[in-house]
Amino acid sequence: MTLTLLFNLGDEVYGLEIEALQEIVENPVLHYVPQARGVLRGAINFHGRILAVIDLPDLLGIANAPRDHRRVVLSPVYKSLVLTVSGIQRIVTLDLTDLQPPPENSAGLAIRSQIGLEETMINMLDTDAILKKLEKIYAG
Amino acid sequence: MRVEISYKFIIGFLIVIVSGVVVNLVIPYSAVPVEFQQTLAIACALVIGLIFGVAFSRVFTANFRRLTSAGERISLGDLSEDITLRQSSFPDETEDLAKAMNLIQESLRTLVGNIRGIAFKVAGSAQTLSGTAQEVSASSLQVASTADQISKGAETQAEMVEQSNRLFKEVAMSINLVASSAKRVAESAHQTVETANSGSELAGSSLNSIRHVLAEAESSGQQMVNFVAQLQKIDKFVEVINGIAQKTNLLALNATIEAARAGEYGHGFAVVAEEIRKLADSTTISAEEISGLVAAIRKEGQQVQSSMDQVIREMEDGREAVDHTNQAFTAITQNAVGTRTKANSIAELAEQQIARAEMINQAIDEIDKVVSDNAAATEQVSAATQEQSASMEELAQSAKDLSIMSETLLEIVKQFKLVKQEQG
Repeated sequence: MTLTLLFNLGDEVYGLEIEALQEIVENPVLHYVPQARGVLRGAINFHGRILAVIDLPDLLGIANAPRDHRRVVLSPVYKSLVLTVSGIQRIVTLDLTDLQPPPENSAGLAIRSQIGLEETMINMLDTDAILKKLEKIYAG
Repeated sequence: MRVEISYKFIIGFLIVIVSGVVVNLVIPYSAVPVEFQQTLAIACALVIGLIFGVAFSRVFTANFRRLTSAGERISLGDLSEDITLRQSSFPDETEDLAKAMNLIQESLRTLVGNIRGIAFKVAGSAQTLSGTAQEVSASSLQVASTADQISKGAETQAEMVEQSNRLFKEVAMSINLVASSAKRVAESAHQTVETANSGSELAGSSLNSIRHVLAEAESSGQQMVNFVAQLQKIDKFVEVINGIAQKTNLLALNATIEAARAGEYGHGFAVVAEEIRKLADSTTISAEEISGLVAAIRKEGQQVQSSMDQVIREMEDGREAVDHTNQAFTAITQNAVGTRTKANSIAELAEQQIARAEMINQAIDEIDKVVSDNAAATEQVSAATQEQSASMEELAQSAKDLSIMSETLLEIVKQFKLVKQEQG
């Protein structure tokens, strides 16, 4: 049984294990970062630390997605990145023994696996894939 | 020295005898033989007697021839010459005869002259008379034609008068109709005034009712405005509650995350956080419900308000309409009063006109009589003129006859020559 945060990216519902989270901040002041480009939208002051803000819909190429004013701060394991998502829903308890593989033609959408919840298919977010994407973009 | 013819014969005889005697006495003293003396004496006596006789007779017959020729001349009408005898030392009866004939001639001359003058005058007068008669005839013809025209005119006049009479009777009937119509109009106007007055009273009471309702509607509208304002306050509160719920939700999320990090120790805390999150969710749902309710109430309130506004506007319109109606009733009353007054005066005037119309009718009747008389008189004039015309023609004919007669007389008198120059 795992506590999982459910959030939206466009029309899709994604899930993220609560161990990967640091905090959810509401409408933080977004600071301009020189030479920032693409999915890097700026930086926020998080309890005295400077954290980079990544636009997840842009990174995954999901067009016409709305943005929640709350942002997800990842745990230091994931470089304390701050993610902008389409909408934060709630924290649910999932039984992760019933995971299914990601669907075909979903490459690039950072889906590690899928799990059904009350007629909704939840895509478990592949944080490693995100880090790899970022490294690919900002390498060097 | 005057010697009468008889004495002249005697003297001649005596001279012849004396000359015979003297010859007889003289001859013996001549150289004539005696045998021839007797014969010579007789011859001498015969010659002397013949000479004297011829001389005497010549003298006598000359005067008589003159007288005879003068008488013939006078009988032919030549009165131009006076009778003159040869100047004689011994005038006789022929002289007296010549004088007497001269006197006759003088008298004749005067007479003929007078006749001629008078005939001239008569001819002139006859011509003038003829002209005058013709003029009079022409004038009387003109008079006759004029009288004819007058007669025709009188007929037309009579027709016109008759027509006038008929028309005027129609006019009088129309005036009667006008009078009765005017009376009816006056009655109608009176009824209109009464109706308009009651209508005006009704409109006044309607106006009061409308004013009352309007006042109530306005206060209701004000209440509705207050109500909507209070709804907005509720909306604000709901927003605040919503904000709090969202913050609570976030706090619960973070608390759950923190509790998970605390592991087994944070389990109870996680349960509390979950409960808080549920509360926040239900708060949000309730707030949303309240918000929906407030929106619905606001919508209905706006509808009520717009309905109220509509009602107020309609009431205002109604008030204006009733106001106009009231004014219209007032105007109707005034007009109807005016109409009543005017209709009454029209009725009075019409009655006066009827009286006058009767007088005019009488006058037209009199005109009719006068026109008839005129026609009769004109016909008499026409007849008289025709008679006059006939008389004038007769007169003209008489004047012509007279003229012809005077010309004949002049023709006759012309045969007398009064002056010598006329002989040429």
